[in-house]
Amino acid sequence: MSLDRRTFLKRTGAAGALILGSRLPAPGPAVAQDMTVRPDPAAKRGGTLRYGVHTAPTHFDVHQSGTVANIGAQSPMYDTLLRRSPKDGQTIIPDLAQRWEISPDGKKYTFYLRKGVKFHDGADFTADDVKATYERIVRPPKGVVIPRTPLFATVGDIVVVDPHRIEFRLTEARPKAYMLGAFASGWNIVVRKKTLDENQGNLRQVMNYPGTGPFKHVSRKDKEVWIQERNPDYWNKGLPLVDRLEIYHMPPFSQELGSAFLSGKLDYARLLDPVSWRKGKEMPGVTAAAFNQSVIQAFWTNMQKNKALADPRVRRAIHLAMDRHTLVEVVKDTAPMQVGGFVYPFHEMSTPRADLEKKLGYQKDIKPAVQEARRLMKEAGYGNGLRNLDFVVREANTFKLWAVAIQAMLKEHLNIESNLRVVQISQWFEEASGGNFDLAISAIVSTLMDPSDLFSAWYGKDGPQNYSRWTNAPFHDLANQMDRELDDNKRRALVRKGEDILEQDPPLIPVAYEQIYDAWYNKVKGQNPSTYFGIYDVVRWDNVWLG
Amino acid sequence: MYAAVTLLGVSISIFIILRVLPGDPLVAILGVEGHARMTPADRVHIMADLGLSDPLPMQYVHWLRDIAAGRLGKSFFRGDTVSELIAHRGPISAEIGVLALVVSWLVGLPVGILSAFKPNSVPDGLARAMSILFIAIPGFWLGMLIVLALLFWFGYKAPIVIVHLWQDPWQNFQIVIGPAVVLGLAQGAYIARMSRSCLLEVIGEDFVRTARAKGLREGLVVMRHALPNALLPVITISGVLLGFVLGGSVAVEQAFGVPGLGRALVIAVVERDVIVVQNLVLLYAVIFVVVNALVDLSYAWLDPRIRYG
Repeated sequence: MSLDRRTFLKRTGAAGALILGSRLPAPGPAVAQDMTVRPDPAAKRGGTLRYGVHTAPTHFDVHQSGTVANIGAQSPMYDTLLRRSPKDGQTIIPDLAQRWEISPDGKKYTFYLRKGVKFHDGADFTADDVKATYERIVRPPKGVVIPRTPLFATVGDIVVVDPHRIEFRLTEARPKAYMLGAFASGWNIVVRKKTLDENQGNLRQVMNYPGTGPFKHVSRKDKEVWIQERNPDYWNKGLPLVDRLEIYHMPPFSQELGSAFLSGKLDYARLLDPVSWRKGKEMPGVTAAAFNQSVIQAFWTNMQKNKALADPRVRRAIHLAMDRHTLVEVVKDTAPMQVGGFVYPFHEMSTPRADLEKKLGYQKDIKPAVQEARRLMKEAGYGNGLRNLDFVVREANTFKLWAVAIQAMLKEHLNIESNLRVVQISQWFEEASGGNFDLAISAIVSTLMDPSDLFSAWYGKDGPQNYSRWTNAPFHDLANQMDRELDDNKRRALVRKGEDILEQDPPLIPVAYEQIYDAWYNKVKGQNPSTYFGIYDVVRWDNVWLG
Repeated sequence: MYAAVTLLGVSISIFIILRVLPGDPLVAILGVEGHARMTPADRVHIMADLGLSDPLPMQYVHWLRDIAAGRLGKSFFRGDTVSELIAHRGPISAEIGVLALVVSWLVGLPVGILSAFKPNSVPDGLARAMSILFIAIPGFWLGMLIVLALLFWFGYKAPIVIVHLWQDPWQNFQIVIGPAVVLGLAQGAYIARMSRSCLLEVIGEDFVRTARAKGLREGLVVMRHALPNALLPVITISGVLLGFVLGGSVAVEQAFGVPGLGRALVIAVVERDVIVVQNLVLLYAVIFVVVNALVDLSYAWLDPRIRYG
């Protein structure tokens, strides 16, 4: 057999890649059971950290919340069973559970809880508190709505084995990445059983309920500042490092937050507007970071109200008619965004960005996509476009800017005419869930980055955020299969398959994916969120110190 | 009597408006994801908890009963009482309002007098142009420009939390001065225009000519004879302008980031915190009505010819 040099190199290269590939870790959660947050050896103790984050919470029940207004201010007072390491924001490490075991069939999660942990009111922390916390999350009492409940849909019994050991028995196995991610979610803080019992399971109006976290409540001025002090009895000895936290409530992306940071009235600002962030980046002694957030900005097409929008070809045409790079540019001074498709573009299982940008609808040159879009409209019988679409726009600068741009793109590329109707957020969700729109633009969040979560919440047949009322039998079957598939490589293939279906039959039209801009003065040490995913899991400030 | 009827009208209007406005307060309470997952049974339970499931007339009567008993209710989100909110934030907004009034008189009246006594001169033209400018410029925009200018040129920003006058007068002054100047200049422009036109009318009167003929100095003619007679309409408009100050403070407090009552009202509107909104709007109405009643009463003191029967 003859073998030329080029063929030889190709084949050895391929074989090498195969060997190397087989040795690469499978995608999944980075887990380190032996790792607990430890103070930086160079860390100094003391001082006050002034932190600006979001407007004030509308209530105090972290479990019932879905906004950083709660978790940003309250998280330092609580712990979770597991947590994401503040070093990278990704690796799952022990927290109140110092270790855990998963049965071989994946249907039993056993957590071994730390001993000697005390709540801020002096009570001992035991497995009963974990059981009460999770019973409430898994099966909320009447009038209590917890967005994370679906993550634990397969949790059957929660059994206290002894005061420091608890078992979660699943009715059906779920991927480890998914379950551990759910237990490590920053939202699932552990609260006292007694607190829940005394308040009939509803903590919306209970401002200062005891946690086990590194900081304790001192005082709160509504819509101004929440002050917390170091918990001297914190189980993780040596932490936290700062004596006092002052958490200022300021609207995200606002001039108010930006000016407070730039004038030195805050040490650390989260959710800065792009202009202040860029200004901060240029300032000496300031570090600025951008990181990914679990929010998709999109618009929905009402398939039940509008016959034309029920046609997948029309929705794909609308999807292809979007010049996404321009849409990101349109809001660049208002909020940081990035181009993405139907799954988080930075998720390891989604189509890599380079490949995505080769697809129609994501290219910088939109001519081929628009050509295809026009062909699809013609084929669907709407070659002359559509008239009088009711386009409901959520009141926010980004959506108002986008709505005008999208309206123009639809008109120019597909001869679709729409009338903009700007409404407050409370009305937007009323209109969206009531089906009173043709097009509706807003943003939605997923609880986990794991595609199983968003495939069910955003695209599921009865998904709570499936505002288009979209159904697609092959996709729903696939999503079901993905929920149960324990092999990460097989799951990845299913995700890609799902993406292909969504591209052809879009349940929503992705506009962009949000990013977060943080900045801090260099005296704040111990935290760099550049690799974090979202702002909900690593918000405790226990390892942060002031230089 | 009329004041009571006005307040009753305001209370009915705001109560009805807040109930018929579209939008679901539960979005603010539960967040986007929670709201999406709420079942109809949860909705019923939560609305009952908030007291929003009672028939509307009953809700209205409960509200009036609470006010009569001195209870202003509480934010149905966090449970903070509206009385606490007013006690904490009210002084800051009151200071801004009073300072704005002082600024408007300190600026408006001298400018009006100068214009009236040198009509169609360069200073008069300049004064009129400036007054039109300050009437035209939206307060929130001017406020934002001031905040940005101070930040980028001097790296300065006023304190970000409430500091009361009795806690630290200097810090407190830094918080209130910006909004007060912005609101005061806009009202000062109205006062300048009104006082100019009133003075022009008065200085043509016989008694002013007589005063001059007696050989009085011009300053005395203005201060003793012309001005007191020209002030009544200016005082009247000041009472009306208070409405603009109250309304304008909502946007200006927002622009300066001052945590006053106006800002609390904006947040409550966005959150659809019905109890807070209706009580704050009623408070603003009470202030407006009371101040205008006082203005009416002050006529009798300023002008002996006026007597209320």
